[in-house]
Amino acid sequence: MGLKGAGINLVATLPDVNLADVLSEVDEDREIIHVPLCREEEGIGICAGAYLVGKKCAAIMQNGGFFNSNNAIVSTLLQYQIPLLLLIYYAGDIGDRTFSTTGSMTEPVLQALGIRYYIMRDSEDAAELIKRAQVLSEDAKRPVALLVTKEVLGRRVALQSL
Amino acid sequence: MKRFDCLKAVAAAAGDALVVSSAGAMTLEWNTIHPSDGNFRVRTLGLCSSIALGMALGLPRRKVIALDGDGSLLMNLSSLATIARMKPSNLLHIVFDNEVYEASGSKQTATAAGTDLVGMARAAGIRNSDWTNSLEEFAPAVTNAMNGGELCFIGAKVTTERAQVAPFPIDEVENKYRFIRHIEKTEQIAILSTSLPASYV
Repeated sequence: MGLKGAGINLVATLPDVNLADVLSEVDEDREIIHVPLCREEEGIGICAGAYLVGKKCAAIMQNGGFFNSNNAIVSTLLQYQIPLLLLIYYAGDIGDRTFSTTGSMTEPVLQALGIRYYIMRDSEDAAELIKRAQVLSEDAKRPVALLVTKEVLGRRVALQSL
Repeated sequence: MKRFDCLKAVAAAAGDALVVSSAGAMTLEWNTIHPSDGNFRVRTLGLCSSIALGMALGLPRRKVIALDGDGSLLMNLSSLATIARMKPSNLLHIVFDNEVYEASGSKQTATAAGTDLVGMARAAGIRNSDWTNSLEEFAPAVTNAMNGGELCFIGAKVTTERAQVAPFPIDEVENKYRFIRHIEKTEQIAILSTSLPASYV
């Protein structure tokens, strides 16, 4: 997906069915430390700790897991000014038959936390978007989120108007 | 056991270990006994064990000590399973169990009703998990863990007594920068290197 191209070398994850291939890719990469989580909030702490000792980190989760992580995002990442690339699978996106409530709250919560986010729709842009988001996060010393859609994962056709 | 005495024993064995301490009075006591830029104070209840795990995975040749509390660990029990799964040999996880949310009005935690955190750590898969019942047991357990090359979890039942110590002298952001600069210096690596251009691009 282009994580390594952005210099990422530690990734904390919790599965969503749509992320299965991405997580396998992370798991098989010997240059990336993969930390499979039991609950997403742990991952915020693990990535914060690893950042403090020099790692470049990403956390991959579903938007429900992003909600699970909010206290740690606020009182650790934002409070200490620690960067983190959040790759959040956008469940409840337009066209989904599940998690529409979770989908409807995702962007407003990101906005409320002041977390800049970008929606990934085009798989050809994915690697470059990850690289740019990582630069922004490091420069701002704040988390930056990429909302990962079915389109970017190649699980449905991309629409020109989205 | 008094937590303050236990922390003195940790300080005697800590060497250049990085130390992550959970929210509450313990952090102040630890920083009085062992002031260092290699100390990181946690503000998110529960996150101590996870932050320490991240450090241990990021710097596998450096010892990392998590000074946790019962209320904190109870909030992040799943971290025990994740720590067991990752098995960092350089991590020592100590939980001081005083059976109350000391920083939050001293209401009882679940350990006051019998929840056994060492039992949970062992059941999660951390083989070297033991209770210590006196300072005479605690101090050598810490020393052995620091000298050994394995993941360890030590439980210590302590009184609710607080030592009279000064407040924490720096804020979160300064703690972060000092800690990172300490890592850069002691590990001789660059973490916060920036490549700002001479003019805006």
